[in-house]
Amino acid sequence: MISWWCVALEEPWTWKWIPYPGIWAASIVPIVAYLRAVARSDQPTTRRQRAQFIGGMIVFWLASDWPLGTLGAGYLASAHMAQFLLYTHVAAPLILLGTPEWMADRILGRLRLRGVAARLGASLIMAGVAYNVILAVTHTPGVVSVLRTSQWGSFFMDFVWMVAGFVLWLPVISPVRELRNPSDIGRMLYLFGTTSVVAVIPASLLTFTTTPLYEIYELAPRIGTLTAREDQQLAGIVMKIGSIPIIWSTIGVIWFRWASKEQQRTQPVG
Amino acid sequence: MRRLRILSLLVLVGVLAACGGGVSTDELQGVALAEPTPKPDFTLTDTDGNPFHFAEETEGKLTLLYFGYTHCPDVCPVHLAQIAETFDQLSQVAESSVVVFVTVDPERDTPEVLREWLDRFDPRFVGLTGTPEELEAAQTAAGVPVAFKVGEGDDYTVQHAGQVLAYAPDGLLYAQYPFGTRQSTWLNDLQILAQIHPEEA
Repeated sequence: MISWWCVALEEPWTWKWIPYPGIWAASIVPIVAYLRAVARSDQPTTRRQRAQFIGGMIVFWLASDWPLGTLGAGYLASAHMAQFLLYTHVAAPLILLGTPEWMADRILGRLRLRGVAARLGASLIMAGVAYNVILAVTHTPGVVSVLRTSQWGSFFMDFVWMVAGFVLWLPVISPVRELRNPSDIGRMLYLFGTTSVVAVIPASLLTFTTTPLYEIYELAPRIGTLTAREDQQLAGIVMKIGSIPIIWSTIGVIWFRWASKEQQRTQPVG
Repeated sequence: MRRLRILSLLVLVGVLAACGGGVSTDELQGVALAEPTPKPDFTLTDTDGNPFHFAEETEGKLTLLYFGYTHCPDVCPVHLAQIAETFDQLSQVAESSVVVFVTVDPERDTPEVLREWLDRFDPRFVGLTGTPEELEAAQTAAGVPVAFKVGEGDDYTVQHAGQVLAYAPDGLLYAQYPFGTRQSTWLNDLQILAQIHPEEA
């Protein structure tokens, strides 16, 4: 029987391709809807935005579908962690960057999420806590075991991770300007604190515990010579340092923009 | 904001509690037997072609006995990987232990196939084979259900006992370990079992 979403399998891993129609639909439908909305609207959408949106959806598809999705669902904790990073640190920000303001405004209005988005944008602490609560809960061994063994559970986890990505980046790169946090310093500290400080706790647990934490990956048929503990240590390393290039590049961009604004502000007029 | 803080704290506590599983205890965490049973006595052939007298060769050692086959898709390789990975952390226990893997598929598991497969986990693991009659007698002596073939052709599977039998150095079986046994359980129990010597039993 064909599965519509990646789920933990009980058979040994092979490189035999597995189709997941649900993942294809979840990847293609938003792109079609986006392009139709852009074509029908008289509001501007740049070529760069279109590329960013489609790029974000491609990353979403790559993270969800075979082989990474299958590996992350039931074989490797490190693949599970790589999926999380791709969703939250690559796919979600690219989708936000690719969404024009008028479209984001319309979506938030239709889904009645304007209030929530405004609160997250205004309160960096709230956004940071929300992101880390999702991170902590969805990486708890019991939750992983329950969710990854059913298609709906696995779909839910991937969906929640995308939501976590939007929550994380909303105060920094929200398409709706007024939902973005106005403080450059605040956004830099927020990105550092949210992704680098709290994540150290679960990442260290994964790296330094003597026995595997995740039952589902521990009892999965091994892939190659990678032991369950090595896989978990790798997951911890991915969690700890995987986000560094993206987060620090973003902090760097905000820093230079802030410095440039400050320079312009302090320059004598005339 | 207060509710948010409490929620965050609860989540953190929950995560830490969940991650702290596998706490060591003084008690066996495997499926303990109400009454320990003695080690079976059978003789099979090892991967070098020499006779292996199970009771004699494993005397005074912590012994893990398992009946399986190399074409097993899930249970056998995971069991052996779990034991091998636990041994990596318990080098002293591993030195004074012996893992005996008895094939229930002598047709496909030639001594060479068996050796090569076991070496992927740990070269110290002992592989045994024999005639179908000898293997059946060994399983009966160990008190596990006798394995049987399912399916035809080259792709058949073998229905076999899924538990590892753990004999302490005193020669008694104290606990069994079904599929799904975590490394935390192995880590705990192997250290306990290794301490049960004849004079203390």
